[in-house]
Amino acid sequence: MPEIKVTPLGAGQDVGRSCILVSIGGKNIMLDCGMHMGYNDDRRFPDFSYITQNGRLTDFLDCVIISHFHLDHCGALPYMSEMVGYDGPIYMTHPTKAICPILLEDFRKITVDKKGETNFFTSQMIKDCMKKVIPLNLHQTVQVDDELEIKAYYAGHVLGAAMVHIKVGSESVVYTGDYNMTPDRHLGAAWIDKCRPDILISESTYATTIRDSKRCRERDFLKKVHETIERGGKVLIPVFALGRAQELCILLETFWERMNLKAPIYFSTGLTEKANHYYKLFITWTNQKIRKTFVQRNMFEFKHIKAFDRSYADNPGPMVVFATPGMLHAGQSLQIFKKWAGNEKNMVIMPGYCVQGTIGHKILNGQRKLEMEGRATSVTLCCPLAPIKLQIVLDVKLQVEYMSFSAHADAKGIMQLIRMAEPRNMVLVHGEAVKMEFLKGKIEQEFNCYMPANGETITVTTNPSVPVDISLNLLKREMALGGPLPDPKKPRTMHGTLIMKENSLKLVSSEQALKELGLNEHQLRFTCRVQLQDPHSDPDTLHRIYTHLKSVLKGYTIQHLPDGTVMVESIVIKVSSSAEDTNTKVLLLSWSYQVKYFQCSYLTDGLYRD
Amino acid sequence: MTEEEEEEDNNSRSDGALHAVGWRRRKRRLLSPAARVHLSVLRGTHQWYKDLHVYQLEHPTQVIEWTSGRTVCVAGFSPSKNEILELRLPRKLFADENKGLCAERDFKVVHGGFTDRPVRCLRHVPGTRCAVTGDGLSSNLQVWDLGGDDSDVIRRTGSIEGRRRRTGVSEGGSSIAARPSSPPQILHGAQISDVQLTELSSGQTLYQLESDSADPLSSLHFLSDAVFLAGCSNGNIYVADTRTSAAPQLSPPPPPPVSSGESVLWWTDASAGPDPSGCRVVRLSSSGQALVSDLRNLGGAVSRAQLDVQTRRCGPDDVRVSWAPALDDCIAVSGFSGAVQIYDASVWTSELQEARPLFEHRGHAVSPEQSDDGVPPILVTSHVWHPERPRTLLSAASDGSVHVWDWVDQSAADKR
Repeated sequence: MPEIKVTPLGAGQDVGRSCILVSIGGKNIMLDCGMHMGYNDDRRFPDFSYITQNGRLTDFLDCVIISHFHLDHCGALPYMSEMVGYDGPIYMTHPTKAICPILLEDFRKITVDKKGETNFFTSQMIKDCMKKVIPLNLHQTVQVDDELEIKAYYAGHVLGAAMVHIKVGSESVVYTGDYNMTPDRHLGAAWIDKCRPDILISESTYATTIRDSKRCRERDFLKKVHETIERGGKVLIPVFALGRAQELCILLETFWERMNLKAPIYFSTGLTEKANHYYKLFITWTNQKIRKTFVQRNMFEFKHIKAFDRSYADNPGPMVVFATPGMLHAGQSLQIFKKWAGNEKNMVIMPGYCVQGTIGHKILNGQRKLEMEGRATSVTLCCPLAPIKLQIVLDVKLQVEYMSFSAHADAKGIMQLIRMAEPRNMVLVHGEAVKMEFLKGKIEQEFNCYMPANGETITVTTNPSVPVDISLNLLKREMALGGPLPDPKKPRTMHGTLIMKENSLKLVSSEQALKELGLNEHQLRFTCRVQLQDPHSDPDTLHRIYTHLKSVLKGYTIQHLPDGTVMVESIVIKVSSSAEDTNTKVLLLSWSYQVKYFQCSYLTDGLYRD
Repeated sequence: MTEEEEEEDNNSRSDGALHAVGWRRRKRRLLSPAARVHLSVLRGTHQWYKDLHVYQLEHPTQVIEWTSGRTVCVAGFSPSKNEILELRLPRKLFADENKGLCAERDFKVVHGGFTDRPVRCLRHVPGTRCAVTGDGLSSNLQVWDLGGDDSDVIRRTGSIEGRRRRTGVSEGGSSIAARPSSPPQILHGAQISDVQLTELSSGQTLYQLESDSADPLSSLHFLSDAVFLAGCSNGNIYVADTRTSAAPQLSPPPPPPVSSGESVLWWTDASAGPDPSGCRVVRLSSSGQALVSDLRNLGGAVSRAQLDVQTRRCGPDDVRVSWAPALDDCIAVSGFSGAVQIYDASVWTSELQEARPLFEHRGHAVSPEQSDDGVPPILVTSHVWHPERPRTLLSAASDGSVHVWDWVDQSAADKR
């Protein structure tokens, strides 16, 4: 049976380092190639040895598809293509292609330059990797090779986020990446055709959640920022460079304007201009409202939001700072956090999900004392023999607020997408390993639902329809046989010969098949020996059999032929004597394969009825 | 008037700031996202609500039942296939200090199950992981195990047969009441003559109400361990004791001052308290009249009021009236429209006067899911007070929305 295999190398019952292998119609596709931000050992990247133990990535994979620019979906890409080695095509949307290298370079700097890690990809590797990328447009069918085609759909998770429909022949898989079913301030909602894929691979980050409305979240966010500013505090908002940051910028910009606030808003260095530039460039990927008002005013040209300089962090008075990265695991946001953490007037607002192991995750879990790895330079040391690395305990006094703005589909959204696409099977990935028996049960009321762990393969057998041409003669003959007229909804048995020739299939009558292929028809006869005791001579026995059969088998054509045989219809009967005993006669019955079995048994029955 | 001015104007007209959120949404289609940041959201809302969370269920619910201090059960009421969900409310809502540290503000589906009947009534048996549901069509009930820590599935464990009816009476749905009891028991019935106390595990009938009245029930309430009150949809109230087989005490509602001639439906709630003799009963009619009676004199009215509700043709399952469990003299009313109203019954007198609500939550009626024409108006299907937090309520509406809100008593704040 044809089958489709899905194996998560990352994001199986887990969030982080999304990487899913799909084998469909003889093609192997890698969906996303992310890193896990919570680890810096070999759990950081997906386990590519699953493939490489049997050969090179390039030989195995037909293509790699990246759903969006978040590092947990593309962070391992340079490692895979340049360090493990992959030279095949990598597909991503235009915005993802533009933004992903910025984030990769940003992350590389933090990892290599700040943390001093070696054995990490270089800037050149990021560049080389991006050369292998082929950009995708929305709703454009791209032919990867003669058989494999892919098509991107809008996912609404971040700028350029896409769901992808992968098709080989009549088999297909949809991979959602991360998606969002409710439009927000800068993006629209995910949408897909009723494409009825064999498998829908969906993220399930918020699968057991019913989300509070966005309006209430925005109201609380503004209230929190305002209160802090009013009491003279500083607000730190750690963000991914793109995505929520722009949404919150729009929100604050408008609020500042309306409330006539004077406190400065900064957006962390470098990334600001680039990020906003890309939003302007890819305005078609934002939501309808932004696109429509774009002519009068570009939403991404901010009046109140200015570029941040590291020295500003020590300025007195209230301010709001957007800084990267979003999980406080390194870089500028962590530096500012360390500076401001000691003052209870200040506030840090965490606007998104934080993976385990990051500072963001720790403070969201209520940790008020943080052990930090500090470098000797950052503290005054009394001990002259201090080690280079030492543990500093950071007292977190500032107010910590969690405002989840991350745009994932919740339980309702997942069901909405399922209804849109109408898949035959579901695979849930990118969700924490929690009890989801109920959700699984809910989905399984309609179709199979799988939740494979990393390295675990699920196999779905498919019923691809194979088109076959049928000869008119054969159809006419079939019609002549009578019976009900052909109905496209009902399967029907018919006889014919299937010829597979030059990638096409056709069904013809066996005579025509013989003729076309220049073959002779084989004759197949069955013979059976019946022994009986009879003292007469062979011809007499034969005659006795003849008269006997004539009396019992009324309505059949029975002939006694001069060559010493009796024929009942097409069945031939011969008589010979046994060599040892002339009284033992051996009857040879012979019939061709067309004769139905019951006719023979009826005949033998007749013979015995003596 | 520019679009933004128009929006501001809307907000100044509306009394509760958030009520205005989204209410002109469709007309503002072309407005920039910036303009969509409502002044209301920014300026006024927090004066009206200490907390407000807005959720959207896949299917509307008619039941909201507390199963613990932090979890509620909701369930669908479509003719066939329905889900029963146990939802955990966000910690953020219950933390008084360090709210910000409480990460999530979403509902979590902690347990869920499937049923092939509508769920019109759902009662959790206190102290257990057991719930009983009624479909509103027959007096039979279904018993459910809400599931523990090891499973997220709500499973049906049995059923309870309603008492046999006399012929000629159409079956209606049962009312259910439960109180802490060991082994678990529930009081249930569809009309006065078939009220009974049933032990859940054995299905054994422990008590039957001695009456041959066919008055259809609207609700059952335990006033103490043994004394209970049965409110009928014709306004009659019966008080009986499960320890005796004595006939129940019947109290018809005082006659309305002006008889409209139309048949009215009544809903009842009894205030909970440690001392059942201090219990007060509120009766609300489909014409919007509310009567408060003392348990000792249920035939008379201590106070009455004509509520500020849009009266409409109501079904017996539509309206909810409830005493605030942790706030004196406050009554919540829903089901007449898309709003939940809070009334202060302490200002009502024995004379029938019009009463204005103390607070009105109109958020459901301005739900973003609402469209302009051809769609029936959104009605509140249920509401429930938080058992301990004085001003926190949950409400659900016919569009599937569920709101959790902690309202601010503006009049009290003004007096101060």
